[in-house]
Amino acid sequence: MDKILVVDRVSKEYPGRMAVSQLSFEVKKGSIHGFLGPNGAGKSTTMKMIAGILPHSEGSIQLFGQKVGPDNMELRDKLGLLPENAPLYLDMKVHSYLEYVAKLHQVKHVKDQVEKVIQDLNLKDVAGRLIGNLSKGYKQRVGLAQAIVYDAPFLMLDEPTNGLDPQTMVELRDFIKKLSVEKTILFSSHVLSEVEQLCDHITIIHKGRIRASGDLKEIHRKFRQGLVIRLGLGIGESLPDLSSFGKYEINHHSTLTSEEQFMLTFESESDIRFELAKFILSKGLKLMTLHVESPELEDIFLHMTETRR
Amino acid sequence: MILTLWKKEVQSYYSSPLAYVLIGLFSLISGIIFFNLLVSYTDNIQAMPNDYSQTISFIEEVVLQFFAQVNFLFLLFIPLITMKLFSEEQRQQTLDLYWLSPVREWKLVLAKGLSALTLVMSMLLITGVFPLVIWGIGIRDFNLLGTAYIAVILNACAYIALGLFCSSISGNQIIAALLAVLGIMFLWMISWGGHLNSNFVIAEIFTYIGITSHFERVLRGVLGTQDMIYYASFILIFGVLTVKSLGRRNW
Repeated sequence: MDKILVVDRVSKEYPGRMAVSQLSFEVKKGSIHGFLGPNGAGKSTTMKMIAGILPHSEGSIQLFGQKVGPDNMELRDKLGLLPENAPLYLDMKVHSYLEYVAKLHQVKHVKDQVEKVIQDLNLKDVAGRLIGNLSKGYKQRVGLAQAIVYDAPFLMLDEPTNGLDPQTMVELRDFIKKLSVEKTILFSSHVLSEVEQLCDHITIIHKGRIRASGDLKEIHRKFRQGLVIRLGLGIGESLPDLSSFGKYEINHHSTLTSEEQFMLTFESESDIRFELAKFILSKGLKLMTLHVESPELEDIFLHMTETRR
Repeated sequence: MILTLWKKEVQSYYSSPLAYVLIGLFSLISGIIFFNLLVSYTDNIQAMPNDYSQTISFIEEVVLQFFAQVNFLFLLFIPLITMKLFSEEQRQQTLDLYWLSPVREWKLVLAKGLSALTLVMSMLLITGVFPLVIWGIGIRDFNLLGTAYIAVILNACAYIALGLFCSSISGNQIIAALLAVLGIMFLWMISWGGHLNSNFVIAEIFTYIGITSHFERVLRGVLGTQDMIYYASFILIFGVLTVKSLGRRNW
């Protein structure tokens, strides 16, 4: 089975408000799928609908080829969720809490599994402490631990690194990357660099509607309109006429300490780097930089979520 | 599974100061009540001529009175015990843990109900000292003690079922407790309504719906089928309502 999750025209309506509308996207087996959107876009609502915690008003959600619904108990062991607010019992100790979650899922070797998760998430030092007394970073780790302690093959992590210190953020990211070897992960975030580092597929959602969904490289390619080149010339040098390479515009010019830098967008997407370099040098100019810029995910995200308001 | 859920709930009760405060307060108040009843009984006995002293029943004056007062204490204590059971979970969004696991709602409701009953039983356990005191002062009249305990336990079960439902419909503990207090008072008032109504049929209906007549019968040792049916259906109805209420939030 190639697709673990198929969300088909799903809508969720609250009284007087449409939380998400006609959402359709798929998550492929073995991928880390980034789920992007500004606050209030409908990411958490969508994740809760996929988890079967919230009912959807329209459409269908298929997980592992089975329809998500309140009575589908089989799916509950196949899915691990770390919601935005992790379901933690603050009056329980870390070890007892994880044991409890494992028992709820009828894990066979509870003790071994809990020990493994504690080891993997570096929770050993706090295993005997009350969850309520832990720092935010540790609480988030415990939240992640509850999602993986029963070894579900599909994980949904709702902004898992939100509000954490940089070190914990890096550690958690590395751990998620490791997890992706065995599991399929749907990962929501609004930290775009994080999504670029971790995910191979993304879905961008804004105001409850899908803006883009699919392979990250494919989305990059689609978004790129024309060829963007960063060109650096010697200090004080000006840009020659480049109309022989087709229609172009100068988007930006800045004088740096070592060069004059120009951002150029050519209408044609054909690779003209070599010809352009020869042309610049033939004009007796100093070619300091010549780089094809691919659009940042941030540009795509802003484009998707701002220009369509 | 129910055992796992029950254990967790019981541990949660006993890891919070509320349980100890409630047990302590209950012991203190029930102790004072028992002492007062005993003193008033011995005063009455001493005030009576010897021939008439036998007419004052120890069971009537002390044991049944005591358990009737315990039932009154439950009006305040049980809502305080049940208020957090679902409200707290809703506030902390920990119920998601169960909706993500293969635990059925009814098992969770049953386990929470049993854990509340465990705390009530530990409160009642302390009242077990009182018969020992009576034994110590030479009174051997322990008739009806067993059914009196059964009566308060059955009432506690009914109040817990009502309290659980109130806790499931509100995310605020105080509101959940207030609703439960009002609910219990309503049950009592229906019974009083039955006594006051001149229409026989209506009076009978009110008396049956209200909890007091059933409690009093069991308290006096009459373990009738209709009372058992009443308690069983009361607990079942509120259990189902609680499950439905959780289901409504869930799906």
